[in-house]
Amino acid sequence: MHNHDGHEDHHHHHEVAPVEGSWQDSADDHPVSVARRRFLTGLGIAVGGAALGTGAAAASPESDAALGHRPTNPWGRRDRWFAGDHHIHTQYSNDGQYPVAKQVAEARKHGLDWVVITDHGGVAHQKFSIDQVTPDIERARKTNRDVLVYQGLEWNIPGAEHATVFMPPGRHTVDILRAFEAGYDGNVLSRPVAQGGKGLISRSTSADGEPYALAALRYLESQVLSGRTEIALMFANHPARRGVDSPHELRGWRDAAPRVAVGMEGAPGHQAAGIAKAAGGSGRARGIYDASPGVDSFPGYAPNATENPYRTYGGFDWMTAKVGGLWDSLLAEGRPWWVTSTSDVHQVFNDTFTNGPQDYETTGNRGAPVDTGVKRSDYGDFFPGHYSNTVVGARSKSYVDVMRGLQSGKVIAVHGRLVDGLDLRVRALSEGDNQGVTLGGRTFVRRGGDVEVTIEVTTAGGPNFSGAVPKLAKLDLIAGPITGPVADRDVLSAPRTTLVKTFELGRKSGRVRFTYVFRGVGESFYLRVRGSDGNRVTSDGGPVMDVIGDANPWTDLWFYANPVFVDVV
Amino acid sequence: MAWISLPGRHSDHEVLSAADDSGLVADLVLTWVDRSGPIAVPVISMRIVGTAPEALDLPAEGRCVRFPGQDWLVGVLTAGDIVAGSAIDEVVGVGVPVTPDSPVDTRGFLRPSYQDGRLVLLVEPTVDGLRPVEIEDPHQCCGGQH
Repeated sequence: MHNHDGHEDHHHHHEVAPVEGSWQDSADDHPVSVARRRFLTGLGIAVGGAALGTGAAAASPESDAALGHRPTNPWGRRDRWFAGDHHIHTQYSNDGQYPVAKQVAEARKHGLDWVVITDHGGVAHQKFSIDQVTPDIERARKTNRDVLVYQGLEWNIPGAEHATVFMPPGRHTVDILRAFEAGYDGNVLSRPVAQGGKGLISRSTSADGEPYALAALRYLESQVLSGRTEIALMFANHPARRGVDSPHELRGWRDAAPRVAVGMEGAPGHQAAGIAKAAGGSGRARGIYDASPGVDSFPGYAPNATENPYRTYGGFDWMTAKVGGLWDSLLAEGRPWWVTSTSDVHQVFNDTFTNGPQDYETTGNRGAPVDTGVKRSDYGDFFPGHYSNTVVGARSKSYVDVMRGLQSGKVIAVHGRLVDGLDLRVRALSEGDNQGVTLGGRTFVRRGGDVEVTIEVTTAGGPNFSGAVPKLAKLDLIAGPITGPVADRDVLSAPRTTLVKTFELGRKSGRVRFTYVFRGVGESFYLRVRGSDGNRVTSDGGPVMDVIGDANPWTDLWFYANPVFVDVV
Repeated sequence: MAWISLPGRHSDHEVLSAADDSGLVADLVLTWVDRSGPIAVPVISMRIVGTAPEALDLPAEGRCVRFPGQDWLVGVLTAGDIVAGSAIDEVVGVGVPVTPDSPVDTRGFLRPSYQDGRLVLLVEPTVDGLRPVEIEDPHQCCGGQH
């Protein structure tokens, strides 16, 4: 079955691609054409990389399937779990306030292994902030040697929402980030030339930005292919908040750069924003998801009598929370797309500090935050590690390995320490891959055979940040057939994806194991697992739409694990 | 009555000022999105009172920023009162039933949707009852600069 031999065409990345000379040197500095040129330059390498099959080349699950049913993310590797947060703002965001050192110290104190610093992209950030945040990040790495501190960007995706973009530390990392932001940030592209922008698109979220988003992702992928960075990743942030990430855009990003655009926030940050005023909170919407459709919103997301895509459900974004919804529609295509959970920390609930007074537009820096001496109950965020964890399975705690774990979907999005671990194994009991695969993986079984799912969950071994030990009440096993690429790229439902089985934990805690067997499987399918504290559940087992002004994040806890794909052959 | 349409991006305040400054009396003012081109264009449509009936650029759906009875809809009102006292035809809850005696906190800002000639106000549960899904002051990310 492993017939990808005979193509041992060892292109060495560094020999082929033009490493030197940034896109800025080109005579034609129109970002789209530059990226297209570089992308085409990289194509020959992409073929060589895929032919290598194994090894460090990040062969995508799709290409593996084509090579002949080689499982991805095999179960039984000695991966360890590393908790992190890929969405953190600092004083280098116009609406942020904390120094990098403070964010990293908080993350470390609350058990995070990795963080990504993601200040908002824009003209002032590109011009002034990058040079200031870079040494701050380097200092934070030295001060916190056990925390991986990635330098990233919260990219204004042209035509859409925000996204985390980041890379491991490297000789070219900052140069790539700088060029990327100058060439492809939606705020830079939409701002008039007279105000320092490029004036190339109508609005940051208008549809004329969409080709730039694809070019941007191809640019990042070309940086990987040319060896300027070992890996680069993009996660779409708060995807449903304003309804501007249309289904075809999500699909387009993934297809444009499958090694780079790998997922989205399953749960947005700002999880304290829904705490009731009566309980001392800000009384806003959980996740600050309080918007309604705007001019650039996708019309298919219109709120109606049964649902409101602009709200969170059990703290998670509607795209992820709805069984048979948008996330499932991507997975049902067999399209790898992973979900995460982040803090999006700007201003922390009940903190006494406020933004520094420095002029952001001219300095790219708010300056040191100011202590008002008054607890700010109107703030809606948690510090990194207080509430939202993206837990990643990786071989080692290294910058590249953790990113490879994220890229391969060995990821659980957890709120409020609902679980401490999840060992998922999916394997063929009959002819097929009997070893099986884990989260984000792809396994296979001969048609008509049986597939066993083993879920070993580790419940919280101690209190979360609220001081309580969360109680996992149930696990849901969700599955649906893989029906292949959709003809209509704006499809946003997977009607055949259903809740297959709910496992109640009762009084069980610690390591708890459940097994389920799909018998006589006739078509390829995928499955995924989620869990809940059972406090707010609809009649069909799902999360409830969060109530504006009354959403206690500590009493409505969920986790979502990423899927496993099963090819029936 | 006639409809007139104006493309362009405006705040609700600007939309209503433009309607009033035109010297015409518009009893129904809608904003809607023209998605026929590569870039979505916001459009204002106004129904002008006292002119000959004409169907000009009548949108199938939109967002209503002015409608008969609007000035009266302030404070907390029942869904029944909202329908009885204004041009709003129906109050619909997201995932929750709405009865005529359900209280709705109007927050002094109602933007019912216009769907094939009907005005529908979508409401959702909050800590103390129901409120419109669209509010006047949703969170502006990055201080509204993006």
